[in-house]
Amino acid sequence: MRLIGALFLSLLATWVSAAAVPYERLVAAGADGNWLTYSGSYRSERFLALDQVNRDNVGRLKVLWAYQMQPTDIAGAGLQETTPLVVDGIMYLTESPSSVSALDARTGRLLWHWAPELPEEVLHIGFPKVNRGVAILNDTLYVGTLDARLFALDAGTGAVRWETRVADNAVGFSLTLSPLALDGQIIVGVSGAEAGVRAFVDSYDAATGKRLWRTWTVPAPGEPGSETWGGESWQTGGGSTWLTGSFDPDLDTLYWMTGNPAPDWNGDLRPGDNLFTCSILALDPATGAMKWHFQFTPHDTHDWDANQIPVLVDGEFEGKPRKLVAVANRNAFYYLLDRETGEFLLGTPYSKQTWAAGLDGTGRPIVLPDTDPTEEGTLVWPSLQGAINWFSPSYNPDSGRLFIPNRRMGAIYYKADAEYEPGQPFLGGGEQALSGDDASGAVLAIDVMTGRQLWEFPLKAPPWSGVMATAGGLVFASSLEGSFFALDETTGRSLWNFNTGAHIRTNPMGFAVDGAQRIAITGGNTLFVFGLQ
Amino acid sequence: MMLQRNGASPTSRLAGLCLLLLAPLTPAVAADPETVASPIRAFTAEDLADGQRLFRVHCARCHGMLGEGGEGPNLKRATLRHAPDDEALFEVINEGIRGTGMPGTFGPNDDELWRVAGYVRSLGRLPPEDMPGDPAAGRIVYETAGGCAACHITRGEGRGVGPELSDVGQRRNLEYLRRSLTNPDADHPMLSGWMTGRVNAFLTVRVVSPEGEYEGLRVNEDEFSIQLRDLGGAIHSFDKRELLNLERAFGHSLMPGYETMLTGAQVDDLVSYLMSLKGEES
Repeated sequence: MRLIGALFLSLLATWVSAAAVPYERLVAAGADGNWLTYSGSYRSERFLALDQVNRDNVGRLKVLWAYQMQPTDIAGAGLQETTPLVVDGIMYLTESPSSVSALDARTGRLLWHWAPELPEEVLHIGFPKVNRGVAILNDTLYVGTLDARLFALDAGTGAVRWETRVADNAVGFSLTLSPLALDGQIIVGVSGAEAGVRAFVDSYDAATGKRLWRTWTVPAPGEPGSETWGGESWQTGGGSTWLTGSFDPDLDTLYWMTGNPAPDWNGDLRPGDNLFTCSILALDPATGAMKWHFQFTPHDTHDWDANQIPVLVDGEFEGKPRKLVAVANRNAFYYLLDRETGEFLLGTPYSKQTWAAGLDGTGRPIVLPDTDPTEEGTLVWPSLQGAINWFSPSYNPDSGRLFIPNRRMGAIYYKADAEYEPGQPFLGGGEQALSGDDASGAVLAIDVMTGRQLWEFPLKAPPWSGVMATAGGLVFASSLEGSFFALDETTGRSLWNFNTGAHIRTNPMGFAVDGAQRIAITGGNTLFVFGLQ
Repeated sequence: MMLQRNGASPTSRLAGLCLLLLAPLTPAVAADPETVASPIRAFTAEDLADGQRLFRVHCARCHGMLGEGGEGPNLKRATLRHAPDDEALFEVINEGIRGTGMPGTFGPNDDELWRVAGYVRSLGRLPPEDMPGDPAAGRIVYETAGGCAACHITRGEGRGVGPELSDVGQRRNLEYLRRSLTNPDADHPMLSGWMTGRVNAFLTVRVVSPEGEYEGLRVNEDEFSIQLRDLGGAIHSFDKRELLNLERAFGHSLMPGYETMLTGAQVDDLVSYLMSLKGEES
């Protein structure tokens, strides 16, 4: 009897400690075949440190299982931008608009599914009904919803541990990003600049859901940066924070990106540089206080959000070892900044742009005349969608190559009047993109320290999906038309490709089960997992 | 049945405790804008002028500066197939038409959308174009001197290489049709989707493969492959990496120009016949 009792207790103990991802595992994330956070690690390299699949055998890669997202009645839902996590053999992913599923990562079989009760009318002004993934800390998953709530779910069963309202969807706030889990706290940002919200970065206590701090991205009168907003325009300033940032535990610094000022195309209503929109912010995770900031596009009038992945890079820059952050920005410039001080080190175009003569010594753009939107329309490259958008670049720290999924499309920008009305689009104009056969894309490889282009792989259409480099010398990428493929990271030649049959609008990720490497991508509503078998 | 974890974690799990928890899917109703009684009847000249201004920014690229059509259909018609009433028209402008090149509109708010709809309705009150010739005579030109059925299907008859013409009178205006006959290189039908953008729908492509040379109309293309339909209607599929040459002949149509092959009167009759083809609504 005692033996059975001991057995029962040990089984109970294993049941209780189902998923176990303490903060220390997140700090060390990257090399053990798990995918523990949205970008693979706090450095946001989206680098798969596995080499079982490599140049020599990737030609044999095949689909091992597929999972089709749950059908939904919610109109306009169905666009999948998720990056699944894999923790010790269980995959956690989100499904449009705000659902969560747990799958057996070995077979793809569903373990549980959770969907929030969303209101009948949910605003999503400026973006589709998407969700980019969950965060995990200890045994709890964290997910944001389209109606701007944050939920904590038991990773074992999907049961709700707590929920909190982050902001009011009725004026345009949503959560579409994958939250970022730090030590005991969950960091989230919001969407909504196209509805004229005033945005922020929030931190929540991971155990209770209590808000720990809020850092506004648009300052109120009297606060630093408020002099860059004319009149009352700060109240509807935008500056959305809708993409997962990066974290340096040694510097104890959180890096978060901000979006466009509102209204998008009519800057007359908001004279000034409009800090801290279109910027990278370095925040103290304990308080949310700003350590430094760098603004990529002052007084933006092209909707060039800086919500791109900030990749943390360590290496020698001009002979000295430095801690850097590399950003391929939507405005078509590639930037290297010192991530301790925010010092601008390098900025160079990586894609066709017709709006700036270059950057000055501080990294400020030298804007060319006649590039602002006008009533009759002004042709500018890149389009509002940018030379890159939210989807991920990838960095191989061993080779020093940064891989950028590049959109090549111009647009005619229009300016119009804008009058703020809560819950309505606050845009001040529009865009006619020169799309289809007038546009294209590429996967670029650049030297991270110099921005020099090493090779490019052309894409028929500008992509909406990211890339992932691996220790096997490969770069996985995908196209809008639905091809998922592997490039040789040295030459850019394609070594393998697979037609998923639907648009791919997300990033690849990878993991291992029973020591066997897997690569995953979602095409349309189907998650495909590949392996050598 | 124990589900084994991989090496990282030594714990194992009882199958019986792996509950399949399927939360009920939210039975949310489609998040459409509220159906408001159409304000169009009460619009003033100023409202319509505002609608025209918005139309030019958001719609003219496909529907023409005067709504006469181009890539998108001619809107100077009393009845619009997808918009039998004002509320439906609002929906079309707001959300687009699934499966066609009509995207939804991203920028304007609800008031602005109504004003665009009001302007579009006002286009339907404009007098229709006068036909320059005789549609019945034009049908004979279509079937004989024009030889159109070799490449076009109309009302179920013909061979499909170029666009189907059964409702072309619904979608195009006189000037466009005349130009497509006398100078086919000038205009290319486009396909539009909000994700893929505007793509030449009947693009002439010439390839050189190890098997030989092929010319045809592009049916689909991505970075790895391209599919063509030749003038006989056969489909050819190529891996682009195996091609020795690939030429996309933008600005060149495989359709012959009829300026020298038909008389002016024949062209007048033919375009009048084509304008009479309105699909099921003839």
